[in-house]
Amino acid sequence: MVNLILKFVSCCRASDIRISTSEVLDCLTQLQLIDILDEDQFKATLRSNFAKSRREQSRLDRIYHLFFHEMRQDMGIAERDSLSEHIEDIFDMLQEQAGEDAALGAILDFLSGDPLAYLRELRRIQREFQDSTGNTRFNLGPLASRLQMLINLNTTRGAIAQFLDDNHTQITRENRRNLAAHFNEYLDSAYAMLMNEPRPYEDNLRQVRAYEKRLEKLGEKSFSLLTQKEIEEMREIIELLVRRLKDIMSRRFASNDRGVLDVKKTLRRAAKYQGVPVEIMFRKRPPRKGKIVTLCDVSSSVWSAARFMLNILYSLQECFTKVKSFIFVSGLAEVSEIFEKYEINQAIEKVLSEADIEYNVPTDYGETFRDFRKSHMDILNKKTTLIIIGDARSNYFSAEDGILEEMREKSRRVIWLNPEPEQAWYTGDSEMYAYKQHCNEIRPCRNLNQLLAFVEELIL
Amino acid sequence: MEFKSVSDVKDRLEKADYITSKEIATVVFLAEATNKPILVEGPAGVGKTELGKAVARSLNRKMIRLQCYEGLDESKALYEWEYAKQLLYTQMVKEKISDVVTGSGSLSEAVDRIADQEDAFFSERFIQPRPLLQAIVSDDPVVLLIDEVDKSDPEFEAFLLEILSDFQISIPELGTKKAVKIPFVILTSNNYRDMSDALKRRCIHVYIDYPDREIEMRIVSLKTPGIQERLLENIVDSIRQIRSLDLKKRPCISETLDWAQSLMALQIEDLSFEVILDTLNVICKYRSDSEKVRDYLEKNHMSGNAAWSISS
Repeated sequence: MVNLILKFVSCCRASDIRISTSEVLDCLTQLQLIDILDEDQFKATLRSNFAKSRREQSRLDRIYHLFFHEMRQDMGIAERDSLSEHIEDIFDMLQEQAGEDAALGAILDFLSGDPLAYLRELRRIQREFQDSTGNTRFNLGPLASRLQMLINLNTTRGAIAQFLDDNHTQITRENRRNLAAHFNEYLDSAYAMLMNEPRPYEDNLRQVRAYEKRLEKLGEKSFSLLTQKEIEEMREIIELLVRRLKDIMSRRFASNDRGVLDVKKTLRRAAKYQGVPVEIMFRKRPPRKGKIVTLCDVSSSVWSAARFMLNILYSLQECFTKVKSFIFVSGLAEVSEIFEKYEINQAIEKVLSEADIEYNVPTDYGETFRDFRKSHMDILNKKTTLIIIGDARSNYFSAEDGILEEMREKSRRVIWLNPEPEQAWYTGDSEMYAYKQHCNEIRPCRNLNQLLAFVEELIL
Repeated sequence: MEFKSVSDVKDRLEKADYITSKEIATVVFLAEATNKPILVEGPAGVGKTELGKAVARSLNRKMIRLQCYEGLDESKALYEWEYAKQLLYTQMVKEKISDVVTGSGSLSEAVDRIADQEDAFFSERFIQPRPLLQAIVSDDPVVLLIDEVDKSDPEFEAFLLEILSDFQISIPELGTKKAVKIPFVILTSNNYRDMSDALKRRCIHVYIDYPDREIEMRIVSLKTPGIQERLLENIVDSIRQIRSLDLKKRPCISETLDWAQSLMALQIEDLSFEVILDTLNVICKYRSDSEKVRDYLEKNHMSGNAAWSISS
């Protein structure tokens, strides 16, 4: 039993689920308490100890299924006896063929019911994605290794068929069919694992579509369609709304200033009453809405939405401890300083003219994320809300969604605002599908109503 | 071990008016048997908090609840010194202080003498226990429910770690308080943010999803006794369809129950199109949501292919 669980744990680890030794120990103690023959209980125990969030559950479920269902050794004992000799022959033949090749060896292990090496191979392929920084911006490398694995699977399949054909005199037709079915089942599941990586269950992702239509005309008009005059109008409306939001905020904090006793102040007050502390003073707690880090795509279509967003965020700056902003096309530039120094409208003009950024290149989200990881990863902490505004159109460059996952792990929340209508999200070169699984929240943001709904939720 | 087996947990929770799946029962059983906290995740309104209450009822224990929010600090969660009382006592025993000080040769001697009395002011008399400390020092075993832990700050998570693994709290002035009886801890999370690995490692995790049709029907019939079988089916089916729409707030079990109760109060036996429209505001909490549901209903009603009971 212990060995079985340990084996299962190493398979989980091989597919990137973090399991600590203490968790394994807990699980083993707990298994002694339950009825392990009842699968519901058994599975619940493994699940509750090894997958500690909804996001990990899908991966665990998959390995569980692979390990305890697909890899089951129950071809029927009688049948196995008559076949086992042939199975051994086939393994010998494959072993010979595989030689020193690690990938073929992994497939062989997989066929014999040990998926560990194969899972490691899969992870290696996935890792290549993230480590191929710098040299190339395309994901050709990982694609090629995936293809190689695919070829390996097919070679194995071919070799087995060939073997069965060659030996048609020694093996009965019935046995040949059984053998082929047995191996093909395994190969099919190996193939499925290569082609479809498990995605986390999405029911934790907050996808906001519904919002209140508060402003009639202007509120519903897409940012990218605004005329100059409407932009002016928009600014006035935003100013008004920002003032209202600030009122709400100040009211909240006014009733909320009971904090830790302020001894100094209390004593000073007490002096008035001959040292009797009649009035007790408390230290005011500062509004703590945490840090905001924004990454704004400034390619023209997105920028129209991003500027309003920045406009509102910076007008509400006092609600947050710190607002940091970056703009990017292909590579990042920090623009917080410009926004702090200049008045908001001026700042928006200045960002486009002065920020240190190349505009005449295709947008590349992968490069941007790599850049962020290299030089700004340290600004993220568990109090940071990371807001990314962009259409996720990365011109077929490598998406680097692994880095986004790293960023998620470092920050409190990752929110993706997409200024494109939702119907267009998963079309063409949009990587929204890949990015979505690493966000806590995604929402469209293409008009004022949507933007307001978002900001309100952010600060209240 | 208070529970005998997984099915015992299930039965006892059911007796405490909480119908649950085997997975959840297993987790509750294991948590109780191994003294580990449970981390419950799931969408709003599937009965995460209710699980805590039900466990408390079934174990016949008092429940202590701590609601988390942004800015929750140790003085609200662990303990607080009652400064006002301390100051008041200082004033009242002023005379006594001068008694202590009289006869001391120098100023520093006087200070030393006062320092000897320090313990009087940092004693349990002046400490105000907050939920976490209450749960630890309670003489009877309790159920500690830490609600919406994802809304709290990272610092607060750090306080929790000591409690969750060792069931103790360190108070600098008094030393470490160890649990008299180990509480049964349940943490709930709405997944507003990811919890830290350290916290997750100390808990056993369970995800509660919307219940499947059969369980939901059992829940509704348990909580609204005397409901007709057909109405019950209609209610649950309708709610399940509304849940599949893209709404700002999806109706959860408590809304199903509210709805069933209001329909019972209105003495309605058949769930017709008009009835649903009239009682929509029990299910939908936003105007935009009601509009969406209304549109959906009308479309289905017009085309007549409603899977709703309307046709019957």
